[in-house]
Amino acid sequence: MKKIGGVVVSHGQFANELVSAAEQVVGEIPHVAAVSIGWHDNVDVAKGEIERAIKSVSSGNGVLLLTDMFGGTPTNISAMFIKEGEVEVVTGVNLPMVIKLASQNKEMALLEMAELVERQGKESIYKAADLLDPHKSKA
Amino acid sequence: MIKGRVKVVNRLGLHARAAALVVKRAAEFESSITLIREDKSVYADAKSILSVLSLAASNGMELVIQVEGADEESAFASMTKLFDEGFGEL
Repeated sequence: MKKIGGVVVSHGQFANELVSAAEQVVGEIPHVAAVSIGWHDNVDVAKGEIERAIKSVSSGNGVLLLTDMFGGTPTNISAMFIKEGEVEVVTGVNLPMVIKLASQNKEMALLEMAELVERQGKESIYKAADLLDPHKSKA
Repeated sequence: MIKGRVKVVNRLGLHARAAALVVKRAAEFESSITLIREDKSVYADAKSILSVLSLAASNGMELVIQVEGADEESAFASMTKLFDEGFGEL
């Protein structure tokens, strides 16, 4: 099975730590890399790092870039790589999104995976009390 | 199909490490395995960690386990044992 590759791109060390947290949960994920961009990093240097990361995780079935925040530099640089069927970007990365990308059990198209990861990210946000304490829940 | 109940007996509940063990164990079997939290009508595929985590099952909570497939008997026994053992955290 050809897995879709993933690169988490963030401000600071968030990307590295997020991938490492995901590895604690699901085991090693060689098809997902991390790129951390410092506040003062040169855009061209950062772009080169993302490009290398994309190459390192690609198995020919496309690469999904997961960035920390829409409008931020990591997203803006990542967006330069968007190409149909080859690279897609989903913003607002959280741990469930990385885990979703990590645990691929069937081959699928990049766009389909991008939509799945976007949905997973949104659906994984809860006000926890609503789930954890049934006595306080209004649902 | 076999249906039964399991109880979360470890202190931390069905947290990430425990959920990972559930998924790992479930993946050893061909049968489809569903965990159900009845009070919230949450259905979880035991082979998907994000699905298992969405149960938010805490210490003391009972879940319904539903197993269906060629190896359902051994799958059911193995899964209930894992819950009984508190995911090795007791």
